[in-house]
Amino acid sequence: MTDHLLEMRGIVRCFGAVRANDGIDLTVPRGQILGLLGENGSGKSTLMKVLFGMLPPHSGSITFKGRELSGHRPAEAMAAGLAMIHQHFMLIEAMSVVDNVMLGWAEAGRVLRRKAMAARIREASARFGLDLDPDAMVADLPLGRRQRIEILKAILRDADLLILDEPTSNLAPAEVAGLLGILRRLRAEGKGIVFITHKLPEVLDVCDEVAVLRAGKLAGRVPVAGVSRAALAEMMVGRDPTAPHAPDAAAPGAVRLGVSGLRGAGLDGIDFDLRGGEILGVAGVDGNGQLELADTLAGLRRPAAGRIALNGTDITGASVARRMAAGMAYIPADRARTSLVRAMPVAENFALRDSGRAPYGGTFWLHPKARRAHAAQLMAQHDVRAAGPSALVARLSGGNQQKIVVARELDRAPTVLVAHQATWGLDPGATRFVLDRVMALRNAGAAILYISSELDEVMAIGDRIAVLSGGRIAGVVARAQADLRQIGLWMAGQAA
Amino acid sequence: MNTLAFRLFLAVLLAVLCAAALIALSGHNPLEAFAAIASGAAGSPHALGVSLNKTTPYLLAGSGVALCFRAGIINIGAEGQIAIGGLGAATAALVWPVESPVVAIGVALLAAALAGAAWAGLAAAIHLGRHVHEVLVTLLLNFIAMLLVQQALAGALGAPGAGFLQSPLLPRAAWLAHPFAELGAHPGILVGVAASGGLSLLLWRSRFGFALRVAGASRQAAAYAGLSLPALTWGAMLLAGALAGLAGGIEVLGIHRRLIEGFSLGFGFKAVAVALLGALEPLAVVPAALFVGMLEAGSLSMQRQVGVPSSLVAVIEGLTMLFALAAMARR
Repeated sequence: MTDHLLEMRGIVRCFGAVRANDGIDLTVPRGQILGLLGENGSGKSTLMKVLFGMLPPHSGSITFKGRELSGHRPAEAMAAGLAMIHQHFMLIEAMSVVDNVMLGWAEAGRVLRRKAMAARIREASARFGLDLDPDAMVADLPLGRRQRIEILKAILRDADLLILDEPTSNLAPAEVAGLLGILRRLRAEGKGIVFITHKLPEVLDVCDEVAVLRAGKLAGRVPVAGVSRAALAEMMVGRDPTAPHAPDAAAPGAVRLGVSGLRGAGLDGIDFDLRGGEILGVAGVDGNGQLELADTLAGLRRPAAGRIALNGTDITGASVARRMAAGMAYIPADRARTSLVRAMPVAENFALRDSGRAPYGGTFWLHPKARRAHAAQLMAQHDVRAAGPSALVARLSGGNQQKIVVARELDRAPTVLVAHQATWGLDPGATRFVLDRVMALRNAGAAILYISSELDEVMAIGDRIAVLSGGRIAGVVARAQADLRQIGLWMAGQAA
Repeated sequence: MNTLAFRLFLAVLLAVLCAAALIALSGHNPLEAFAAIASGAAGSPHALGVSLNKTTPYLLAGSGVALCFRAGIINIGAEGQIAIGGLGAATAALVWPVESPVVAIGVALLAAALAGAAWAGLAAAIHLGRHVHEVLVTLLLNFIAMLLVQQALAGALGAPGAGFLQSPLLPRAAWLAHPFAELGAHPGILVGVAASGGLSLLLWRSRFGFALRVAGASRQAAAYAGLSLPALTWGAMLLAGALAGLAGGIEVLGIHRRLIEGFSLGFGFKAVAVALLGALEPLAVVPAALFVGMLEAGSLSMQRQVGVPSSLVAVIEGLTMLFALAAMARR
């Protein structure tokens, strides 16, 4: 028996024919930060759900602090000293920090001992450098502080093993540095930490060892010292994604989308020119004006000031329908309520923005038969897997849903495409599909604004990279000249 | 759809079973009571005619309400729109008496539809122009509509010395004939069925209907699709208002032959119930309206023959609504 805090052996978990976890061994010693790397769908979440007892494994064993865990429930896992810090925090915004900490915790007492608890929070906050005021309202705290409340909850409940699921995805760079500092202090106190991420720099910065999952298996486990970014990336995807991109097809053409002085809620003066045959990738931490920019360009929001020109025509005040007629397509981030109607069939979703256009309909009547035929054709062309054109969109996977959106927007042969988080929540295959279609549209001469908080993706697809920060474009650079450090600084709010 | 239809059927069945228990508790035989309702509603051609006449306003107003609800516009103003429609029909018939029945009826019903649409349009204008929630606007305008009818009957339109508020008898040319001799029913039911068929076609086969369904499913998706929510609201409200107004006009010309205070009391709210029971599907509103119409037609004979108070039918209607809402409330 080793002194491992956690020992998972030969974990197998299947979903139908898919082996999401295919014999994974994972150990975590005390006082170590273990990075757990892997693409979407590599099996990270499944493994953690098995650990927490949310999914029973089909085979394999789990030993925690020398005691076997099997058939356990999440509450028992937590009582044993496991803590999970989710990507989306489980906090009540209208309550104070101390109330959130006491929520659902027996030790808070039947009659709440708010003062005693606040004192414990202050003490722990000082010890780990959390800088949390127990009386602050959660709603007033930035995301980084809210995450610290979750960490604080784990500390106060004497968790020995903390699992952080993509903890930096919502944080600004300065907040990330603070978080990494806290993790180091936790390590010094002998806690075990599993740091789930797909961001390589953070892994190299803070972790002691890295375990990489690929397609349900442990692809490797290495000490961080001496391993290169490229080696890790290759282990993760089975290829080197930082390899240079295929050269651009043609020199950019005329200006298709001209934006100047755009202001409004969340937008603080945006200027750029987008040319035909070019992808402008827009990076940045979510919540820095991305949604506002995309919606304003697409006509879903009115700007307070500024001008938007599409192919030379002023469309600042034009309706959504007029923008579409002028050649603008839009892939919004929100599939659940905006770009699709989940309760409607696939065929009607293809017609969502084009019901008055052939073959979907005429001035007054719809053409259901022609719509169905065209939908079947689009489904085949874009490999949309569904029972048929009458299947409800809600029954489809996220990847197939997004394929419908992409197929619909490209079917209009647009000259300008605005895409926002177009690959959010998609598996690697569907992500690849979306990126390929977007690049094909670029090669056909269209101008594309590709907004995403996934920096890797923006770097892979953008001919030029812009960074959105605080509602402004902090800087723009050609991909060939892009310097990650500079981009990081822009994301942190430093203007060029 | 099939499963929803089945659940709605179960809802009706459950309501009837509950009513049976209540009847049994009151010391009567539920089977006898239901048999009395059935014979009162369809036991003779005349009984069936009464049922059809009672169904008509629920069908007309209910189809329009279903259209609005589909678009997420919670229009509960049918009550007032029906009353104003009746006022419009009576006013037109009294103010402009003509010889030809075709012209007289046509003008009166047109006036009813326009008046109902105007009343609904007023609600739409307040809702869209001042951003007041449509439930509040349509609900409160109902009370104003009732008072307006009262005011008219107390003044220019009233028959003096009648003892209660009513207009003089309308000119005979404006009376809706009862062409089905045996049934003794006016042809309003045909108008109602045609309206629900037309609305169904509109909802499923026209771009306007598609837009309504998208807007009802997601306001964000409607904006993304480039639809104008104000235009949709105007369209749905005016259509629903016109149909409710028509229901009021038909009631005045076909049943009372004069405007009577409170002639349509409760019709508009039952129209909402009928729309929901019909799962907001205009064609399915036909059986839903028929169910309520027949219940009410049969309620008096139940009271007469079995001694169960006719208000029990209101209990059945209420229970049906509760169960129907439970059946629809999924997700």
